[in-house]
Amino acid sequence: MSNDFYTSSILPFAAIIIKICRAYTNTQEDFEDYYQEVCLQIWRSKDNFREQAEWSTWIYRLSLNVCLTLLKKKKNSQEHFASDSLPDEVIEDSHAFGDESLNQLYDAIKQLSEVDRAVILLYLEEKTYQEIADIIGTNPNNIGVRIKRIKERLKKILNSKKNKWISQLNQFGKKGF
Amino acid sequence: MDKSIESIWKEGFLKNDALLVPKLNDLYNQKSTHLVDKFKRRFKVNLKAIVIFSFIVLILSFLVGIPVMGVMMFFLFNGLVIVNNKLLKGLEKIDKNVSSYQYLKSFNDWMKEQISVNRRMAGFYYPYIFIALTLGFWFSSFNQDDILGNFHQIYLVNGIPVYWTISFLLITGLLAIFGGRIYTWEVGVFYGNIINKLEELITDIEELRS
Repeated sequence: MSNDFYTSSILPFAAIIIKICRAYTNTQEDFEDYYQEVCLQIWRSKDNFREQAEWSTWIYRLSLNVCLTLLKKKKNSQEHFASDSLPDEVIEDSHAFGDESLNQLYDAIKQLSEVDRAVILLYLEEKTYQEIADIIGTNPNNIGVRIKRIKERLKKILNSKKNKWISQLNQFGKKGF
Repeated sequence: MDKSIESIWKEGFLKNDALLVPKLNDLYNQKSTHLVDKFKRRFKVNLKAIVIFSFIVLILSFLVGIPVMGVMMFFLFNGLVIVNNKLLKGLEKIDKNVSSYQYLKSFNDWMKEQISVNRRMAGFYYPYIFIALTLGFWFSSFNQDDILGNFHQIYLVNGIPVYWTISFLLITGLLAIFGGRIYTWEVGVFYGNIINKLEELITDIEELRS
C-alpha cells in the first residue's frame, strides 16, 4: 500500500461512497461535506478494519453509518434552528447526475426511510441478502421481503411522479404555447 | 414504468459524469487538527493522571509507613507535571493559520523538543525514583527491626554494607544510563500510534508537494 492512503485505499472505492452520500443529501454542498466526512472517518478508523470482512464491505458499512450520523446531527440542528433552515424539498437538487431516470430514482429513494434507503442501495449494488444483513446488522431472512416492499414503494413513487408530470404537460398543452 | 429500477441504476452509473469524485481540499487540514487535538487530549489526561497518582502515592505512603518515599515521589511527579505543562503551553502557541504541512511540521518540532527534554530528565528521575523507594523502605517505620535484626548477617566494611551499597549504586547508575531509553519505550507505548500517524501524514503531504 502506498503512503497516500486516499489514492490507494479510498479512491478505488469512491463510487460506493458517492452512491451512498447522494442518497442521504439534497445539495451538492451537503454531498461534498458528507463525502469528505466519510473519507476522513475511513482514514481515522482504518486501524479498526478487520480482515474477516472485505475492504469494500467495510467501506459500505462505514459510509452508511457516517451518513446516518450526519443526517441525525443535521436533523437535530434543524430542530434547534428551525426558523433558519429551509425544508429539504425547497433546496432539493434533482440534477446531480446526467441521467434523468437516475435522478428520478434517487429522488424516489430519498423519500424512503433512512434504513430502507440503505437496504435498497445495497440491493442495487448487488449485495447478497447475507451481506446486506451483515452491513445493516439485521436478520437476512427479513431482507428479501423488505426489498420487495421497498421496490413496490419506489415503483409507486416513480409512477406517481410520471403521472403528475404527464398531467402537467397535458395542462400546459391545453393552455397552448 | 418502462425500465426496472435495477436497469436505471446500472445504466445511469455507466455514464461518465455520474461518479465525479468531489475535491478534498480540506482533508489534510481536518486530519492534522484531529491528530494534534487527539495528542493534546491524551497529554492533558496523562498529566492529570500523574497529579492524582502523586496524591494517592503520598497518602498511601503515610498509611503504609513509608512517608519519605511518598514525599519524594510527590515532589517528583508534580515537578514533572509543571515542566510538561510549560511544554504544553508551547504547543498552544503553534500558529493554526498556516498550511497543514507547516502546522504538522511545527507540531513535529514541538514533539521532538518535548521528547528530548523529557528524555534528558528521565536520566535523573528514574534513578531518583529508585533512591526514593530505597530511602522510603530504609526509613520506614515497619520492618525496621527486621532490617536491623539481620544487620549482623550483612557484610560490613567500616560499618558500610558493601554488597547493598554496590547493588544500590549499580542499579542507580544503570537507571541513569538507560533512563532515556526507558522513557523512549514509555513514549512508544502511550503515544506511538499518534507519532506513527504524524509521520505518515507528513510523508503523505511531502509526496503531494514533490
